[in-house]
Amino acid sequence: MSTVTETKPLRLSGSQPFTQQSGVYIMIGERTNVAGSPKFAKLIKEGKYEEAVSIARQQVENGANVIDICMDEGMIDGAVAMTRFLQLLGSEPEVAKVPFMVDSSKWEVIEAGLKCLQGKGIVNSISLKEGEEKFRHNAATVRKYGAAVVVMAFDEQGQAATYEEKIRICERAYRILVDEVGFPPEDIIFDPNILTVATGMEEHNNYAVDFINATRWIKANLPHAKVSGGVSNISFSFRGNNKVREAMHSAFLYHAIAAGMDMGIVNAGMLEVYEEIEPDLKVLVEDVLLNRRPDATERLVEHGERLKAESSGTVQDEKKIEEWRNGTVEERLSHSLVKGIDTYIDTDTEEARAKLGRPLLVIEGPLMDGMGVVGDLFGAGKMFLPQVVKSARVMKKAVAYLTPFMEAEKAAMLAAGQEVKAQGKIVLATVKGDVHDIGKNIVGVVLACNNYEVIDMGVMVSSEKILERARAEKADLIGLSGLITPSLDEMVHVAKEMERQGFKLPLLVGGATTSRAHTAVKIAPHYSEPVVHVLDASRAVPVTTSLLSEDGKAEFVARHRADYEALRKSHASPRQKTVSLNTARSRRTPIEWRAEDLAVPEFTGVRVLDNFPLATLREYIDWSPFFHTWGLKGIYPRIFDHPEHGAQARQVFTEGNALLDTIIEQNLITARGVYGFFPASAVGDDVELYTDGKRGEVLDRFHFLRQQANREGTEPCRSLADFIAPKETGLSDYIGAFAVTSGIGLKELCDRFRAENDDYNAIMAEAIADRLAEAFAECLHKRVRDEWGYGRAEGLSPAELIQEKYRGIRPAPGYPGCPDHTEKGTLWQLLDVQANTGMQITESFAMWPGSSVSGIYFAHPESRYFSLGKIDRDQVVDYHKRKGMSIAEVERWLGPNLNYEPAE
Amino acid sequence: MTKAHQHPLEKILESRIAIIDGAMGTTIRTYGMTEADIRGERFKDSKKDLLNNGDLFSLTQPKMICDIHRRFLEAGADIIETNTFGATGITQSEFFVDDPREHGGRKDPEFYQKIIEDKFLNDLAWEINEQSARQCREWADRTGNETGRQRFVAGAIGPLTVSLSNSPDADDSGFRVVTFDQVKAAYVQQVRALIAGGSDLLLVETIFDSLNAKAALVAIREVFDQDGLTANNKELPVMISAAVGRGGETLISAQTTEAFWNAVQHVKPLSVGLNCSLGPDLMYPFLEELSEKANVAISCYPNAGLPNPLSETGFDLGPQDMARYLGDFARGGLINIAGGCCGNTPEHIAAIAKALDGKAPREWGA
Repeated sequence: MSTVTETKPLRLSGSQPFTQQSGVYIMIGERTNVAGSPKFAKLIKEGKYEEAVSIARQQVENGANVIDICMDEGMIDGAVAMTRFLQLLGSEPEVAKVPFMVDSSKWEVIEAGLKCLQGKGIVNSISLKEGEEKFRHNAATVRKYGAAVVVMAFDEQGQAATYEEKIRICERAYRILVDEVGFPPEDIIFDPNILTVATGMEEHNNYAVDFINATRWIKANLPHAKVSGGVSNISFSFRGNNKVREAMHSAFLYHAIAAGMDMGIVNAGMLEVYEEIEPDLKVLVEDVLLNRRPDATERLVEHGERLKAESSGTVQDEKKIEEWRNGTVEERLSHSLVKGIDTYIDTDTEEARAKLGRPLLVIEGPLMDGMGVVGDLFGAGKMFLPQVVKSARVMKKAVAYLTPFMEAEKAAMLAAGQEVKAQGKIVLATVKGDVHDIGKNIVGVVLACNNYEVIDMGVMVSSEKILERARAEKADLIGLSGLITPSLDEMVHVAKEMERQGFKLPLLVGGATTSRAHTAVKIAPHYSEPVVHVLDASRAVPVTTSLLSEDGKAEFVARHRADYEALRKSHASPRQKTVSLNTARSRRTPIEWRAEDLAVPEFTGVRVLDNFPLATLREYIDWSPFFHTWGLKGIYPRIFDHPEHGAQARQVFTEGNALLDTIIEQNLITARGVYGFFPASAVGDDVELYTDGKRGEVLDRFHFLRQQANREGTEPCRSLADFIAPKETGLSDYIGAFAVTSGIGLKELCDRFRAENDDYNAIMAEAIADRLAEAFAECLHKRVRDEWGYGRAEGLSPAELIQEKYRGIRPAPGYPGCPDHTEKGTLWQLLDVQANTGMQITESFAMWPGSSVSGIYFAHPESRYFSLGKIDRDQVVDYHKRKGMSIAEVERWLGPNLNYEPAE
Repeated sequence: MTKAHQHPLEKILESRIAIIDGAMGTTIRTYGMTEADIRGERFKDSKKDLLNNGDLFSLTQPKMICDIHRRFLEAGADIIETNTFGATGITQSEFFVDDPREHGGRKDPEFYQKIIEDKFLNDLAWEINEQSARQCREWADRTGNETGRQRFVAGAIGPLTVSLSNSPDADDSGFRVVTFDQVKAAYVQQVRALIAGGSDLLLVETIFDSLNAKAALVAIREVFDQDGLTANNKELPVMISAAVGRGGETLISAQTTEAFWNAVQHVKPLSVGLNCSLGPDLMYPFLEELSEKANVAISCYPNAGLPNPLSETGFDLGPQDMARYLGDFARGGLINIAGGCCGNTPEHIAAIAKALDGKAPREWGA
């Protein structure tokens, strides 16, 4: 007794830890005990487990630190009920966070319960009732599962009622547990039996005192051991008189806790605050509990009858309206979803339906918004998977409530002859080669909860099987899952197959190794329909709903495609493998330089084209981009047959042509251009242009950049300079340049339309002018090829021209092959563009008027378009020297192409 | 507390940070193995694809697997793990048994009862565990003798492809596909085979469902008791390692770090720690929490960051990155055992070993 070691606290856990605080009483909820709660017993017997779960939740909400679960009732199969109930609680995050007390007098029920606890719970109880051997065995089993244990003060002779019996049995049990079984003493909780007082039998009068004294003795003599008890026993004599019972519980606890009682099983709703017990009642109650006078019982009974009579008139409304119920219906729905509360979901859903008019609007509006919040919280690590699943279940209830209304709406629509879209059907599978599917299962649950029909094909499913099933089931969506890295390639394979087989379904991709970036870069490009990465189960619903929504799909898909395009662009960026500039130069485009491949133009120098006939340009128009301007995607002329927007396309086409007729007839805009040929040689990555055929005096220089990305195989590192014969070959080569516009007069024309409030035609005029400028570039390129000699034999139709099936290229500064816009300055100077055409370049090297095109001509048969991609610092330094531009400025103009973070 | 006989590894852990090896799967992939390679002659007629059943390589391509063990040992690993992450009848069934869901059925305890009783699967699981442990034993001893530094074999016990905490049934959150006893039975067999093959330690790892892990720990206890290891003082030290998410919770059963420790502490493991997860950068606070609460050694062998299919190894972090992170953990006095999980090649382990050389281990009061 001389040891002054600090008492070790009891540590338990559910999904969250629980550590006993010194001096703070542990509340154990007792309402999920069939013996203590008739309501709970009835629900279990009737198999209404979901409702029974809500009782557990109330216990936790009322502040229980641990909840006691007991299924000991003749009509209940204890092990089965215990297992089922605990598994349900395991899926109820708000409840699962606390430790559970598995309470049974039957050992098999206790063991069944232990098999359901992921945390450290408490077994209630074991005792020496059936001898030491059984006691040891049971204690070792509890230990094996890692639970704490309640030990009843019971032995082979029976229940300990007196102080002496209590301490004798507890000490004996303690020694066996600690010395023989190796049970940690802090995990031993003694229940020295709280027995009913005020029974009228004199030998019962000291029961409360005996318990309190035994508690004090245990705490002093059995190091680290805890004390617990079933508190409501004490007041059984006063059944039906809650006022007295509540006071008794509080007063008893007050004294027992002072003696060292750590915890007790008590109905938190049946507990008065000790300080608030009426003084008269408190005295009477304590007289009974502490056995202070022989007539204590009679006095309390008498007082109790009086109280009962008084209180019979008052109705105590204990139900406080929870604060969150005061919010708007949207806020309430969101709260219910986030917290996983389904109590008010029908009421709130109905209110939202009345407010919004249509059931679908409730789903796509406040409910999806709420699930969005859930997704955000989950993504931020503030909610966990089980909670998300819980939210999904509440969502399901809301949807279930709305379903009859939607059915009615559907019936009404059908009756009115309108088309009705069936509920979405989704095929889910873990791809071939991968066996992981827990995440996918969760997605399946969440989707099913949202009323989608989910066909889960399991794991290791081949592409053929997935697609076959999707086809057979007429699925609306396919979801692929995978956890290991090789699954990613399999997903790419499925996407390719879907494309090849002409599938039109969106494809969802998810699983631990998948990512937005990977989906955008590696999977999506192989399939024309949307391929969407779903970060986690909580995102599955918003994505699915958007993709299957008639109204929302187009917008979602457009946004999604833009997102992924941006991702692809930025992903071309970080940390690409590059080679040094020297290596890149050694891998220039392999061209065998022969005089016969070098075309000689009819003239060198500059020619101006003023007032170029618009009627001629019209033949060269590539109409497809015109439709894009109007948000109509498709290839001209096939777009006219498009099932949805074919008619719309036809209309803008007709109207555009009408406007073009007018423009041409009345010369409303003017096309002007300038172009020229120059003797040129490549010198390194620059191209020198000479004043004349003697090639002695340098007129100007184009500065080109070279690909540095490490390419597979023998793919060269290209530069536009590669397409001009190097100076050292001694061959005479030529380069060309041009700038054209069809925008002269356009601004005035548009202003006029706008003044007449005809925005439609203002936009139409711009769209037409843009097309004319591109047509001008195409048309001029044709002429240039002719004048270069090799073009005359082409014999290509305008359609073939649009497809650029000819020799030579005309890349524009600022575009992928030569992304430095400032090279336009050189071009402007070379052709004296501003003086010759009126076209200007702004300080950011944009051309004005807008409908303008410029570029550089290359005639070599090997010349081709390419994209520069990422370049490294060595090339930037080299370029800065060649161009005489500061490094910072080079980096500014080439920002998107840098394969490194430039210094500030 | 004085211990009659301290395990040699425990002694090491008091003096320096021990190194555990890296990722088997990631390293296997660098060998360019094909479906035909994993099948070999023995499984050539197998109906399902086996390539991702990496444990099988220990039987069909032992040379490669032993080469990987050797490389990790040479990189400086004190502890190598057996290639048995999925070597239970339950996980193997995914590769060898028809999925009932393909025929409109479902996976449930009835299905798994058949799996548990399937002789082929049981024999196969046993063989993989025993063989892999033997292979590790041979190379650990060989390298140990050559270098004069004792090496240890940890029998790796993975999380399974089923969850005891999660219901795949939308309409019944109380449903479980498998029972605790079935999971335990699968683990009992794995534990016995790992011990038979000569493992020094048992490592319950990548725990994303604490209840699965508990079944494994109960299985270990039962094997120790029933096979007389307890009576003969021959219990193997147990290592426990969880995989956690952003909030430090086990990924499926959502149990927070301290709650998890409370739930497994009774095993008196040699070590507890974190592996896999979201990579090292998000681990620090949870490692710190565990380090504060747990009075045993702390292990940490995270993924090389998050999976990044666009990077060369398939993961974000290179050897130097991992060395830096684990070096930080060591400086913080948080770890006794360090290494890598998915994405960590022998090069990563070598870099980690180098970075932690001479760094003081975490001190813990027994």
